[in-house]
Amino acid sequence: MEKALELSRYCVPFTPFKRKLEESLVCLVSTAGVRAKVDAPFNLEGDNSFKRIDGSLSAIELAVDDTHYDHGCIDKDVNCVFPIDRLRSLAREGRIAGLTEEHFSMGFSQALRELRETTVPQLARAVSAARPDAVLLTGG
Amino acid sequence: MVTVQRAIEMLGIPTVLVTVEPEESAQARPPRALCPRGYIAGHSLGRPNDEALQKWILMDTLELLLADPKPGEVIIRDYT
Repeated sequence: MEKALELSRYCVPFTPFKRKLEESLVCLVSTAGVRAKVDAPFNLEGDNSFKRIDGSLSAIELAVDDTHYDHGCIDKDVNCVFPIDRLRSLAREGRIAGLTEEHFSMGFSQALRELRETTVPQLARAVSAARPDAVLLTGG
Repeated sequence: MVTVQRAIEMLGIPTVLVTVEPEESAQARPPRALCPRGYIAGHSLGRPNDEALQKWILMDTLELLLADPKPGEVIIRDYT
């Protein structure tokens, strides 16, 4: 069987944004290894899973599993890489409608093929199921 | 990161990325991306507990959703 076509890197997927920010639910998606403190940590040696983060949590209830960047800032404030409190503040001010009920994070992995073929498609479907109007992505 | 962004965008959901690695991100051709100039991994959204700065960067990032499309490019801005 022929392999399914993949989008060329030179071709950029683009979905027009047709709403107002004030009417939009925003979902956070990160590769910074963020998780709820009550959840099991990411494997620092390599982890191809993604974790769901309850949208009602505050930054202080989150942890970060990572060994690839300086944690001086996030140890004080996880909003530096995962701005969940700041989005909630923007929602209180009426600048966005709110946050989705779930957010998502991946950890560190070098198993790129498995990421591309399995984890990323699963994650994208999970994000879609959260029904966001827009998605904000953060790395570290 | 851009791989994830592109996958979500392909499902019909508008996305925007905050990156501190503009060259690497641009090579992967993001649908929309903002880089705060000079920032490094660990505080892509600004200094700890600086709510005003973090919200400034956050709103600039979200407002790329409303801006003229520049798919594949990374917009670099100063936050000093």
